[in-house]
Amino acid sequence: MTLVDNEMRSGSVSLLAGESPPGRRTDSVFRSAAALAAGVVLLILGLILVTTTRNAWPAFAEEGLSFVTSSTWDVAGAAFGTLAFTYGTLVISAIALLIAVPVSIGVALFVTEMVPKRLRAGVVMLIDLLSSVPSVVFGLWGILVVAPAITGVYTNISSALSGVPVLRTVFSGAPISGRSFFTAGLILAIMITPIITSITRETFATVPRAQKDAAYALGATNWEMIRGSVLPFSRSGIVAGVLLGFGRAIGETIAVALVIGSSPQITQRLFSSGDALSAVIANQFGESTGTYQAALIGMGVLLFVITLVISAFARAMIARAERRIGAESV
Amino acid sequence: MNESRIARRVSSRVALTASAAALVLAISACGGSSSDKGSPTSTTAGTKLSAATLNGSGATFPQAFYETTIAKFQTVQPDVTVTYAGGGSGKGQTDLAAGLVDWAGSDSTVKPEDAAKFKTPFLYFPTVAAPITVSFNLSGVKSLRLTPDAVAGIFGGAVSKWNDPLITATNKGVTLPATDIVVVHRADGSGTTANFTKYLTKAAPTSWTLGTDKVVNWPAGQQAGNGNAGVAQIIESTQGSIGYVDFSDADFAGLKSAAIKNKDGKFVAASLSGASAAVAGATLNADLTYDPLDAQGATSYAITAPTYMLISTTYGDTAKGNAVKGFVKYVLTDGQDLAGYSGFARLPAKILSAAIAQLKMVKVG
Amino acid sequence: MTTIDLRDGAPDLGEETRYSITRSRSGRQRQAINFLVHALFVIAFVSIVVPLALVIGYVVTRGMKVMSVSFLTDDIPIVTRAPGGGLGPAIVGTLLITGAAMLMAVPLGILGGIYLNEYGAKRRITKAIRFLAEVMTGVPSIVMGLFIYTTWVLAFGVSGFAGALALACLMLPVIIRSTEEMLRLVPIDQRQSAYALGGRRAGTIFRVVLPAAAPGIVSGVLLAVARAAGETAPLLFTILTVNAVNTDIFHGANTALSVQIFRNAQQVFPGPQERAWGAALTLLSIVFVFTLIARAVSAIFARKHQV
Repeated sequence: MTLVDNEMRSGSVSLLAGESPPGRRTDSVFRSAAALAAGVVLLILGLILVTTTRNAWPAFAEEGLSFVTSSTWDVAGAAFGTLAFTYGTLVISAIALLIAVPVSIGVALFVTEMVPKRLRAGVVMLIDLLSSVPSVVFGLWGILVVAPAITGVYTNISSALSGVPVLRTVFSGAPISGRSFFTAGLILAIMITPIITSITRETFATVPRAQKDAAYALGATNWEMIRGSVLPFSRSGIVAGVLLGFGRAIGETIAVALVIGSSPQITQRLFSSGDALSAVIANQFGESTGTYQAALIGMGVLLFVITLVISAFARAMIARAERRIGAESV
Repeated sequence: MNESRIARRVSSRVALTASAAALVLAISACGGSSSDKGSPTSTTAGTKLSAATLNGSGATFPQAFYETTIAKFQTVQPDVTVTYAGGGSGKGQTDLAAGLVDWAGSDSTVKPEDAAKFKTPFLYFPTVAAPITVSFNLSGVKSLRLTPDAVAGIFGGAVSKWNDPLITATNKGVTLPATDIVVVHRADGSGTTANFTKYLTKAAPTSWTLGTDKVVNWPAGQQAGNGNAGVAQIIESTQGSIGYVDFSDADFAGLKSAAIKNKDGKFVAASLSGASAAVAGATLNADLTYDPLDAQGATSYAITAPTYMLISTTYGDTAKGNAVKGFVKYVLTDGQDLAGYSGFARLPAKILSAAIAQLKMVKVG
Repeated sequence: MTTIDLRDGAPDLGEETRYSITRSRSGRQRQAINFLVHALFVIAFVSIVVPLALVIGYVVTRGMKVMSVSFLTDDIPIVTRAPGGGLGPAIVGTLLITGAAMLMAVPLGILGGIYLNEYGAKRRITKAIRFLAEVMTGVPSIVMGLFIYTTWVLAFGVSGFAGALALACLMLPVIIRSTEEMLRLVPIDQRQSAYALGGRRAGTIFRVVLPAAAPGIVSGVLLAVARAAGETAPLLFTILTVNAVNTDIFHGANTALSVQIFRNAQQVFPGPQERAWGAALTLLSIVFVFTLIARAVSAIFARKHQV
């Protein structure tokens, strides 16, 4: 949807610009109302940054750099280091991406290359349904069904890998309640797959037919065509999709809060409990006061800044993809 | 106005059924207790209070008790609407200080530097007390006796196996396995954690090093659940686990809990009567605050937490002021009979009468 | 599964090309790889259908156990661990809060989209706003909750309205962007003829452009609403929770289905766990209905505007 070409818009603008004077007043009123509405976005984003930072300031001032570099979260001792939470956030997002990216690209190719046109709408609808399942429903399923059931699987995996060097540590240890980095990453993967799929699918759909046909003309199989034409052409689109999924994974709260185990630690063992920025805010905000609350709001600022940077990157990538399509499809 | 009336009607309908159930349970639970002397209606319901809405917020620890009591109170005083929004002791205190609510619930006393922030002076009214259990799930083990140092060792991470000498020393005859102890604590900030760690700071000052607050710097590798029921959820489903859970949830979940060595050197299991004994063993301060943690008395349960209602000393609105006084009095009289149903211990008569007497200090109008 | 024609993805392939593929030299091996990769695509698809089916399956089977008229209308039990009771207040809360959020975000969002597409398409400020709207869609919902907490709740206390504000902030950029996209699809000649008849800009937008784009805009709005109705994080500290219906969204705590699921999922007692599944079924039904209507509307729209 984001990749619709710009032709039409520019056309309409030049037309509108040549409009005649009558009725200018109603127009200008409406125009300023619309401008104001658009400006609200600017206002809200600005306010988010200002108010949250201001409310988090006591914690930033007290902790300084150790707010991000220390992993000691000790309310009793008034030490608010968030490193262990940031670590958890990044680890579960990485797990989610490692699983979701290949699956998403596979699904997108399945839809564009294998599903007959008349069935495509139905398949896309299925993916849409998956993306519309509320996070809390995944969380409920995760905590009451997946976590208890998956401990056995984890035990099997860790005993199977007990002889393999690096993997031995990563997948070691007796999983206790099934609530762990890995479970959180798994649930997140399910949640971000539809996002990455829809962006990559849209990109794949815009690959010019000429490019594909050229590959077929050289005698390429369908896969060789995909590898040679579709994937290289769609690189920025895929990166954009991955970044958007990453941004979503980092900010996702409720499902993570339910299945991550809420026991902060920096460890390579993925089957053990951890904690994440968003989950800590959700769990601990209710009873917080003073600097403690400021620190939790500060974690919100941290999340906001991280996701801002990621989505800015993603949007830049999409813009690049759009430009490229614009250039090549003419 | 209309809407709140509808809301009230709806809630009073629930209240009827809830209170009926509550009474049945309360009577069957504390059947033989000597407390049921006066007839339930003689104490407070005498005067009918005029319409008023009392908003409250604060500690979530006694929330179940307040909600049950509110529901019952509104059947006696249908024109008074009382709300309790939870949010934590800290929130209750700041809300009352700012005049956002008419009453607050708090598990802790107001820090001296915060007391100055209150627009009007306030009073403490102790309402109920509650035992915090140390519940466990260990197959083959039915009962466990723990010293404060053993509890501190387990939760602080120094004691990591079930057959640690610190545990076996007080559990002769119980076969304890050489397996890891899975410690379960709260994921959310909580007054239960604050009281539990405050107890450890008091009773095991040398072996407990994590301090006391709503969240402490727990050792890595433990498990955590949200709310008492969340901790209970993990304990119930995890072999070899141990955690602190309020009595009402532990009791209803059917968890086994340890007997804790009290100040008199006796191992006492968590119970409402043990909590009442602990309250009786504590010294009541002039402002009616008291500390029942690690209290004296042979039958006192060591980990017993207090909780208070905070109200202002003056209410300009006569109807509201009378309603507040009426509600507090109800909590201190008939409300005490509802305590057992929600898993809280009633206060001894000595404290109750002191609290009722303190109501005279509230100026109305 | 594998009976799907692998060549179907390239339907316009000429006879000649197909012929050349099958005749190529290392054909067999390359065909095998081709087949394998396509099998992986199918596996990828299956691996997202399975969790979807599992989630829906669990929610439906567990949720149906408690589903009844009284479950949908009764109050939430005051003592959480009690069995029975219903989720009437949460359903009312979800509808009121999402509805209020919609009332705020939809007009603003549509106006904003109109501005971006109809007025300042090429101007720098418009580009900036479009970019920021896109970035705003990526703001984590818990951050929106914190934002409303710091700006509204600290000053005016919790209420359903505070929750609605947070949801509106989440919906706004989505509606702006989807409205803009839909307006872009309206063919120029429609506008041209309006102008030729002497129409003014605002009038043309209202009488010609908006009606033409309406189905697409409605679909975008419905999707945004469906997303918002399922949100939990922004409501946690803005509405708190209550057990009885609170129809006054401006005063006092409120509750929502999502919040009830979050709280009851972490309960050890069967009563609240059952209520969580029941709430999940109710919420999922609401969200799916919105999503399906949105898709149906946009499918009709797409057919109308097929290029």
